[in-house]
Amino acid sequence: MRRELGMSVALLLMCLGLFISNPDFLGQSNFINTVRQVSMLGIYAVGIAFVIIAGGIDLSIGSVIGLTGVLIAKFSSPAAGCFGYSLWVGIPLAVVTALIVGGLQGLLITRLKLQPFIVTLGGMLFIRGVSQTIVQGGTLSLSGSKLLELANGGLLLYKGDPLIPYPFLIFLGVVALATYVLHFTVFGRYVFALGGNRDAAEYSGINVRLVEGITYLVSAGLAGIAGVCYAAYIGQMSQQVGVAYEMYAIAAAVLGGCSLRGGEGTVLGVLIGSAVMRVIDNGINMFQLPYVDADGIRRIWRLDPNWTFVIIGGVILIAVILDQIVHIVQAKRRIRRAAAASEAGAAASH
Amino acid sequence: MQTHLLEMTGITKRFPGVLALSDVSLHLGAGEVLALMGENGAGKSTLMKILGGAQPPDLGRILIDGREVTLGSVRDAKTLGIALIHQELMLAPNLDVAANIFLGTEQGRNFWLSPLQRKPMREVAAQLLKRVGLSLSPDTLVSTLTAGQMQMVEIAKALSLNARIIIMDEPTSSLTSGESEHLFHIIRQLKSEGIGIIYISHRMEEVLNLADRISVLRDGRYIGDLLRSEATHDKVVALMVGRELSGNYFPQHSPDPSAEVVLEVENLHVPGAPAGVSFSARRGEILGFAGLVGAGRTELMQTLFGVTPALSGNVRLLGKDFMPRSPREAIDRGVYLAPEDRKRHGLVLPMSIAQNTSLPNVSTYSKFGFLNRVKERNVAESEVKRLRTKASSIEQLTVNLSGGNQQKVVLGKWLAMTPQILILDEPTRGIDVGAKAEIYRHMAELAKNGITLIMVSSDMEEVMGMSDRVLVMHERRIKGELTREQLSEQRIAQLMTGKVEGAAA
Repeated sequence: MRRELGMSVALLLMCLGLFISNPDFLGQSNFINTVRQVSMLGIYAVGIAFVIIAGGIDLSIGSVIGLTGVLIAKFSSPAAGCFGYSLWVGIPLAVVTALIVGGLQGLLITRLKLQPFIVTLGGMLFIRGVSQTIVQGGTLSLSGSKLLELANGGLLLYKGDPLIPYPFLIFLGVVALATYVLHFTVFGRYVFALGGNRDAAEYSGINVRLVEGITYLVSAGLAGIAGVCYAAYIGQMSQQVGVAYEMYAIAAAVLGGCSLRGGEGTVLGVLIGSAVMRVIDNGINMFQLPYVDADGIRRIWRLDPNWTFVIIGGVILIAVILDQIVHIVQAKRRIRRAAAASEAGAAASH
Repeated sequence: MQTHLLEMTGITKRFPGVLALSDVSLHLGAGEVLALMGENGAGKSTLMKILGGAQPPDLGRILIDGREVTLGSVRDAKTLGIALIHQELMLAPNLDVAANIFLGTEQGRNFWLSPLQRKPMREVAAQLLKRVGLSLSPDTLVSTLTAGQMQMVEIAKALSLNARIIIMDEPTSSLTSGESEHLFHIIRQLKSEGIGIIYISHRMEEVLNLADRISVLRDGRYIGDLLRSEATHDKVVALMVGRELSGNYFPQHSPDPSAEVVLEVENLHVPGAPAGVSFSARRGEILGFAGLVGAGRTELMQTLFGVTPALSGNVRLLGKDFMPRSPREAIDRGVYLAPEDRKRHGLVLPMSIAQNTSLPNVSTYSKFGFLNRVKERNVAESEVKRLRTKASSIEQLTVNLSGGNQQKVVLGKWLAMTPQILILDEPTRGIDVGAKAEIYRHMAELAKNGITLIMVSSDMEEVMGMSDRVLVMHERRIKGELTREQLSEQRIAQLMTGKVEGAAA
């Protein structure tokens, strides 16, 4: 829980700092939008956490998110060039496609014993290409579709804006379900065992291939659900939607305490990690410092948004460096304590 | 004929190109400890994998309580009460003790989304831990346990299945002698409860103490049985290798007591140790380091080899200062290490014998930046010949060699250069009897040629048989020094456990 606690404190400090520098950070529209962003990232970050905790990796989810949106637009958008079927056709079709993608990747990884990195890298490129052939290099608009309400609507309307956006509700549901499955069920135990020592799990009679395969199914399925939300949020589906999203998800999971070696991580941590990622993103736009220039004119200094990736990358590196330092210090203290204990034991026996 | 708890008859297993087991039979009674012995590659592991349900036999019958059974999977074997404890422990370090004990046998394991019953698992785990003599909370993370405690958790796991047959594969290979004693105690207790135990070990002493009966395999065939009353060290070895090993298993070696001192270590402070250590070694001497696992011997050797540089101290090699900050610096001065974990630190397994041999000084094999493969091949060829390494060619990948031959490649890699001091950490761990004798012969030969050997060993026989002088370590300090004349197993054991203060330190 060390990581979760540290990250919560960092998150709170960040929010506080942003609020002080720019009170609009907690203003209704920015706050709700940030919650929406955290929720959508969180949905698929929880999915990839299943894979990472089981000791795997899934690079294809950004492409799956893109494909889901493109399929929904192609089938259900009333706009020209699309089929205009009901959303009840488009959404299930898109999500089932996502599940099929996850299932196939899982089969390749578990049955043919291919490396997850390569399989999902291939999947990432392949699926991106499929989206590209569907949109033919252009965009598919969802304007006029009722789907847009999913992202922009919600409960408790206040001044025309919902206080609780629908993606947040979906995210809460995902978090609750994932917490139960990962931390309170037999299956969850198997996921952790698989990541901790695959051989031990196998020799304990666990169907490791099935457990591993299911994690890829979960990852792709949640990416599909996130894809529905993003389609509603963005409204214009191009081949670019979802590019590099898997990196955000991996970063969120790792910031939240998942180890890429497998066997470590919590749903709560992934939730906090997702929040940290999105608050940084948002903070780069919101952060400002008032100052008085040489001519005595009051001005406001803002961060150059071109620095976004420098800052996000820096935060990830700092987080893992701090974590490693804490790790080393703790290990040293443990050795010293053990040495002291054996010393005391030796003294007592004399 | 009485029915045995377990009977395996006519077991045959063929792998591509090898007949791993040929018509092997074996039986085990309730409350019996059966030691299964044989050189590496004799088929012990394959036989036990078959019994554990991990591999099906091609031919043969397995009977439990006189009834024929099929062991199609690990789970089948478990249901029938067969538990296999692997040499490399099969526990998930990130889970707690209770979770590991019940891994794969949780209530509701047939419906994966059913909730974990943590409380009853914890309670039963606590009882099982008590039964194997561990005073640990079931909530303890496995990663924080010692090797001995992990072994006990494995046994508790076997007991949780109501196992009637427990197979232990080299259970003491990573245990301290105290932990081994505890294990033997538990084994006797299980025996008295009517559990049949198949015990695989290379350590003759243990086997002769513990086993009611010894079954020997050689080249995938069943060779014979010896009852405890009739078994002796020599008889078992003769069955294992198929010939009487000549009496002088350990080669004669007499160092020159007036040879120059090559290595002087003064107050060398190894990171993590409470204080510095001092010792010296002469040219052509075989200096043994005895001690319990965790006594700090390996760490000391890693410091001498520059893996973990010393905090302070003074080391002189051939009269010149020697404080390596990296293995490269040690290698450049002629100090080489054949590490304990050959597969991880000694060899690049997916590379060939030739490539491994040239690895430490591959730069001297290059011509205009190109690797001189002819030279590489010639050097490897001559080392293979000198050490009589058994391999199809020098292009064979080291991953496919037996433990003894892997160790020879490690030695060859260093002998191809100019060793002053060769550090051998557990030189014969996991190596079978025949190959052991050969390694010993090579060691004596090297010492005769003026190379100083520092040997870390947990095998008492080896320490007694090979060393000209023995330093005993306990809790990261050198507790005493014994010359060849003073050597006795009892003295070493006393120093090792810290019972007496240094004899001549």
